[in-house]
Amino acid sequence: MKKLFVDPLKCSGCRYCEMICSFYHEGVFNYRCSRIRVVREDEFGVDYPVVCRQCSSCPCIEVCPVEALKKNQMGTVKVVEDRCIGCFKCVEECFFGAINVHPEKMVPIICDLCGGDLRCVEKCPTNAIKYVDPGVFAGEKRRRYAETIYTNVFKKWRLKKRGGNP
Amino acid sequence: MAKYYGYTGKTLRINLSRGKITVHRLEKELMVNFLGGRGFNSKRLFDEIKPGLDPLSPENKLIFATGPLVGTMFPTASRFNVSAKSPLTGILGDSNAGGHFASEMKFAGYDQIILEGRSKKPIYIFIDDDSVEFRVADHLWGRNVYETDREIKKDLGDQNVQIAVIGPASENGVKFGGIFANLMRAAGRTGMGTVMASKKVKALAVRGSKSVEVADPGKFEKLVEEIEGEIYGHPQYWPRRSMGTTRILMVANMMGFLPTRHFTSGVFEHAEEVSGEKLVEEYNVKTRACFSCILPCSRFYVVRKGKYTGLCGEGPEYESLSSFTARIGNSDIQVALKANDMVNKLGLDAITTAECISWAMECYEKGLITKEEADGLDLTWGNEETILTLIEKIANREGFGDILADGVRKAAEKMGRGREIAFHVKGLELIQADPRGLKGYGLGYAVASRGGDHLRSEPFFELSGDLKRGLELFGIPETADRLAYKGKGKLVCFFEEWCAVADALEVCKNVAENMEILPFNKAAETIKAATGMEMSGEDIRKIGERIVNVERGFLVREGIRRRDDTLPKRFLVEPMPNGPCKGSKFELEPMLNEYYVERGWNPENGVPTEKKLKELGLTYVVKELGKLGVKIY
Repeated sequence: MKKLFVDPLKCSGCRYCEMICSFYHEGVFNYRCSRIRVVREDEFGVDYPVVCRQCSSCPCIEVCPVEALKKNQMGTVKVVEDRCIGCFKCVEECFFGAINVHPEKMVPIICDLCGGDLRCVEKCPTNAIKYVDPGVFAGEKRRRYAETIYTNVFKKWRLKKRGGNP
Repeated sequence: MAKYYGYTGKTLRINLSRGKITVHRLEKELMVNFLGGRGFNSKRLFDEIKPGLDPLSPENKLIFATGPLVGTMFPTASRFNVSAKSPLTGILGDSNAGGHFASEMKFAGYDQIILEGRSKKPIYIFIDDDSVEFRVADHLWGRNVYETDREIKKDLGDQNVQIAVIGPASENGVKFGGIFANLMRAAGRTGMGTVMASKKVKALAVRGSKSVEVADPGKFEKLVEEIEGEIYGHPQYWPRRSMGTTRILMVANMMGFLPTRHFTSGVFEHAEEVSGEKLVEEYNVKTRACFSCILPCSRFYVVRKGKYTGLCGEGPEYESLSSFTARIGNSDIQVALKANDMVNKLGLDAITTAECISWAMECYEKGLITKEEADGLDLTWGNEETILTLIEKIANREGFGDILADGVRKAAEKMGRGREIAFHVKGLELIQADPRGLKGYGLGYAVASRGGDHLRSEPFFELSGDLKRGLELFGIPETADRLAYKGKGKLVCFFEEWCAVADALEVCKNVAENMEILPFNKAAETIKAATGMEMSGEDIRKIGERIVNVERGFLVREGIRRRDDTLPKRFLVEPMPNGPCKGSKFELEPMLNEYYVERGWNPENGVPTEKKLKELGLTYVVKELGKLGVKIY
């Protein structure tokens, strides 16, 4: 099953994803209604997109006292708004702070992967968000790490760029 | 209450003297005629500021405004204008910055925030949706921009508030203090920070939870998709994304209009060492962006070796980079990064600071200033210690810094020397592009409503060299030739209107104008989808023209006439000494005449004609000028 992955070094912190998300889900522009949020820190240039990780066993579901959260087939967590008592225990429990709170309805809002057609992934200007199979992602990450190693080796051999002879 | 689309429909007025807070509805008339942002501000300043007012008195008003597209997913709509009567120039003061502050202001529910009066004690203002709170800032007074930002976030217990801050320079009464959002997004020009300090307001912290709605979501989405496609497909997309505006440095050097050693040369022999390319190669680590922008042109740099190891921050942009290198004859890029970091933290305007320093350096070279007068500083070109010490001295108004802290015009007056080489127009220091190599830009500086500045017109078209297109667009091929004079009046008029519209919509000029993404008819379509206001491309152009005219009205009321629309003497009499523009002088008069005629202003004195003002529906300007006895024909 595919999952969401982020690359904080690629993220520019433009928060375009927040706007797209809130527009797609609520029809208005309001980052508080967005399922994805970007944490920005200006002094050290940190931009970190926080997404729902679609955990296999969801702490948020486990702690809900009224069973207002349910897992559906895609692996996303659905909020049954009528049942929600607004205790926000789920917000408290989520490791990543990925659960947001709707400013008017005062219910938790959780990423639904746009039903499979992910808007934030599609629209991200720097491709900082990915929706891939975890195994495939691990492979990519591994390769990128290995590449940094051989770039260093090649540098030692006084080749400026990988792949070219001097 | 009628529903607003695009706009939030509310203006927040904060009277600091009485502690009174009022919220009033945005007038329909203002929206239709002035669109937003700079338009709103200029109109309000014209209405509420009496001529001759002391800019640092409590009666001056400091106004923040955003536009109808800010807070939506419209790419690059993330800017705010902050305006007041300027303490540096004594005329219209206005500055614009990006970042994430403007959108937060919209989410809090305000299109415009007006600060008036003066607080008794230092405060900062916390705006949390409908609640407006004055909070004690005694402990923040005197602290730098970074510290203040950190302290306020700690104080409010929220790291996600957006804050616009002033630095210690503004508090010390330096006339060109700026307002800083997201630490490094500077509304630096014309001393808006100084006005804020005179009101004893250290910062404006905003947090919002409201929604911005658009009138026709379907249409709006489609338009945004189209614009996205245009931006991504633009040939300038990648150069801009990797280097931002710093790419201009090498271009300017190659074309011979990079002001070097205080405009004594058009080429800098060390340009490569201080270029945008160098930054990318050795210092940049990642890209950063303003709110909702798909062209992340801001870069985060880290210095990893040398004396300044550990120094990091966003930027610098072309102006501050070349100001602290070529303009002051410094060839060490790390010194420029340090200087840029210092002006950001102290809250100074980089361009004006660099002009003051380079002016002092040229005076020293010419023997107009002695070492003793400059507190024993060695004012030779590019002296690292002198540059950094002078920045600090200016910010603290110490010794020689005190003389420079009122801007270069006042500094020359106080010293009684070096008046001809004080490069300013109407009191605002010139930017980093030599007008002898860019005639249209030069005309733009001369007539700009806030003084010597390119962002009021930015006629980049003259750099294109595309004569055929010049003929098509303006009927004069020479408009596309940067060294020609013909047709430049027309060109500058057109671009002034375009820039005014971009400022009113608060979109990024780099994208909307320089990349030609948002021409008038496209803007009209977008405005209709976002706000529901029915407008044609011609109406939009008229709005731009109206903004330019209302600002001119403000200037005329302050006594500005044709004689003030000029450039420093060096450009008019001394030909460019070297480089590709060698031998080129600047002939202002013919272009100026053309400009006034094109504008519908009186070429004799530069005052808008009654006919023009009435045509634009500005009868109140006619009345106001009439009251003062200004002759309008």
